[in-house]
Amino acid sequence: MSYSTSQQTKNISLFKTLPFHLLIFAVLIVIWEMTNLYGFEDQIQADMIAPRPTNIVLAMLDIFIIDKTVWKHLISTFQKALLGASIGTAIGMGLAIAATLSLTFRKYIKPWIILLEATPRIAVGPIFVALLGFGLWSAVALAALVAFFGPFVNTFQGLMEIDEEAEEMFRSLGASRFQTFWKLRFASAMELISAGWKLATASAFGGALVAEFIQASEGMGVLIAQYVIMITMDYAFAGLLSVTIFGFILFKIMDYFDYRLIFWKNDYLLLKESEKRRKKAGIV
Amino acid sequence: MVATAKKAEDLSRFGQTVIEGKNVTKVFGETVTALEGANFDIQAGEFISLVGPSGCGKSTLLRLVAGLIEKTSGDVKVNDDLVTKPRTDIGMMFQKAVLLDWRTAIENVLLPSEMKHRITQEDKDKAMASLELVGLKGFEFHFPKQLSGGMQQRVALARLIQTGADIMLMDEPFGALDEFTRERLNVELMRIVGELKATTLFVTHNIQEAIYLADRVMVMTPRPGKIAEIIEVKFERPRDISIQTSREFNIIIEQVRDTLGSH
Amino acid sequence: MKLVSFLISFLKYSLSFIIVLALWEAYARYGGLNELFLPRPSKIGAKLYSLFVKVEVIEQGTIYWHFYATLAQMAIGFCYGMVIGNTLAVLAAFNETFRRYVAPYAVVFNVTPGIAVLPLIIAWFGFGWESKIALATLVCFFPPFINTLTGLLKKNDEAIELFQTIGASQSQYFWKQQLPNALPEIFAGTKLAITTALLGTIVAQFGSATEGVGILMQRFAFRLDMAGSFASLVTMAIMGLLVFTVAEVMDRRIVFWRDAKGLERASKKKQRKLMVNG
Repeated sequence: MSYSTSQQTKNISLFKTLPFHLLIFAVLIVIWEMTNLYGFEDQIQADMIAPRPTNIVLAMLDIFIIDKTVWKHLISTFQKALLGASIGTAIGMGLAIAATLSLTFRKYIKPWIILLEATPRIAVGPIFVALLGFGLWSAVALAALVAFFGPFVNTFQGLMEIDEEAEEMFRSLGASRFQTFWKLRFASAMELISAGWKLATASAFGGALVAEFIQASEGMGVLIAQYVIMITMDYAFAGLLSVTIFGFILFKIMDYFDYRLIFWKNDYLLLKESEKRRKKAGIV
Repeated sequence: MVATAKKAEDLSRFGQTVIEGKNVTKVFGETVTALEGANFDIQAGEFISLVGPSGCGKSTLLRLVAGLIEKTSGDVKVNDDLVTKPRTDIGMMFQKAVLLDWRTAIENVLLPSEMKHRITQEDKDKAMASLELVGLKGFEFHFPKQLSGGMQQRVALARLIQTGADIMLMDEPFGALDEFTRERLNVELMRIVGELKATTLFVTHNIQEAIYLADRVMVMTPRPGKIAEIIEVKFERPRDISIQTSREFNIIIEQVRDTLGSH
Repeated sequence: MKLVSFLISFLKYSLSFIIVLALWEAYARYGGLNELFLPRPSKIGAKLYSLFVKVEVIEQGTIYWHFYATLAQMAIGFCYGMVIGNTLAVLAAFNETFRRYVAPYAVVFNVTPGIAVLPLIIAWFGFGWESKIALATLVCFFPPFINTLTGLLKKNDEAIELFQTIGASQSQYFWKQQLPNALPEIFAGTKLAITTALLGTIVAQFGSATEGVGILMQRFAFRLDMAGSFASLVTMAIMGLLVFTVAEVMDRRIVFWRDAKGLERASKKKQRKLMVNG
């Protein structure tokens, strides 16, 4: 009787859908494997365009467990991303806080921000590589540059958007400017700020990889490029897979921090926190 | 006017049963009995208020009549015809005006006319007349966001009139408005309904509003939802706001409160 | 009058630019700035002049050629990305099974950093335009997908009920309510797609290319021709601004009901139309 717009996604538990997910995945893998074995005239061409999943798995085993080649590169990329994200976030948040507190500052950096937003920041990569060399710092610099925008925009938006009535309440309680800033603005901005951190991590990761790709001595970008040059595509795919998995884990960690930090978004955490505070106050 | 001329012929239907419900029950899922054993008989030109707290089934009853949901058991008939799917011989109004933000007021009013055929000049004239009837002359080319809540609901009403349906189903249309706007719109609504000789089912949780507007008030109670009592309101029309302070009016309020309180 | 106020605000904006540029130049000339790191604005300006006005030929092409090549690659990648993203979104919006089982793969594609896939793309598509377009498509299909999907799935129970009571068909509901209602989200996705496509194109050019602003910048940088690389950067900024403005304008015009000014403009237009048609 109603339109079939399927707007309500029935909340079928993962338990029931997982078998189907696995089934579809398995089918895709099999098709892939078959395509490699029978879909091409030339086996070499086949291995270049669509390397066998089995070979990819073997390559994964090799780089992770047998030869352990991948670890050094993963750590290198991770280091660069983390450093870059931290620096970028610090700068971004610093600028955002300054812009919130000072109207003049805000007016003067606005054009620069617009310019920065329109420019593809990642394009600065070659400049950084040329100036800072093939080592750690060009990647960190690029990662920082790419990462800073998210925290800046989010922190700024979060700090600027306050409930007028809440501000009036603080004023009526005689709060100092600093107290209002810290206890009201900053606290209510936490949700956006945390989202900004997540963005920073994601962007920094990409930024580090780009720098590595342009030119670097080590890192996942370098590794994958090497494998491609050597035309060992199964290893290249393995590298790609590692990067994806690694990135995914990183995002999930950030998600978790966000989840715990902004506990009031989630009913269950709210309950736990409420109990925790009650215990702390000595009232059971 | 175009609108009223058409409705003149409906005088002949006076006294006829237009909406009928026999032992209507609606159960959601397996456990939620939204409405149980409802019996109602509504005649042409009547204004019926459905009043009660949340969960009493008033919105459910309305939607059953509209054909938006299916009954679990019992019979619902509109114009002597069993209700099985959404009906176009009724017009609906909701708590939100549900206007399309990207269309002007008049384009919103014309929406029902677009459904079955291309818009004709006659449709456009009718739409302009409907907007004038609801007091929005001069605002035809305004967008919903440029209008106040009360005005948006007027557009929704004009759209309802455009459908040409003489059965109006309204689900707390003034619930989101402030007291003053609501009062004003209540008066307007009665005038318009009177002019169109429409049969109206009006859902509200505001007892005063329910009694002020209606010929009969169906008082509904929750858990499970049912029609507890049907009270007649015998004030003459047109009704002035001042009747709300009269003794008779307050007696009816007490009656309604009693029914609601004891359940 | 409007022109004067526009010029004044323009001047106000550029004030901070002018100040910074002046300080920068002074530092370079008299302060001992290591121009290997940061060439002076006048040198960058001279390079820009040479590229744009004297139409110097660089890397077998003029700056206009490189500009055009990059824009073209971006545009094509953007189109592909939009088609793929929006098609997937529509399919996912109307089919719950599709949504549940295919959407995760789209997310996986998104989580994979485009740059990591680049070597593979180059191996598959070669060094020419195809690889740039391919990467642009890959990185920019996700924003339209997720945004259009979100827009189409917006809950609107009462609108559905309304349309049912006026006798609308499923298709009428889609075209008259669901789709227009999703336009704000669709355009948000489009704006993201266009900026991401530009990014993807430039990054792909770093891999290897014969033309394009990205490879130009890289060549300059590696030759330590800093004025040149900064000039390329400025060119890219111009490109970015251009692209961003086009997207913004389209957004403002088509999704006009988002702000008061747009509403007023549209309302007046409708009234004028009535006057003309009578």
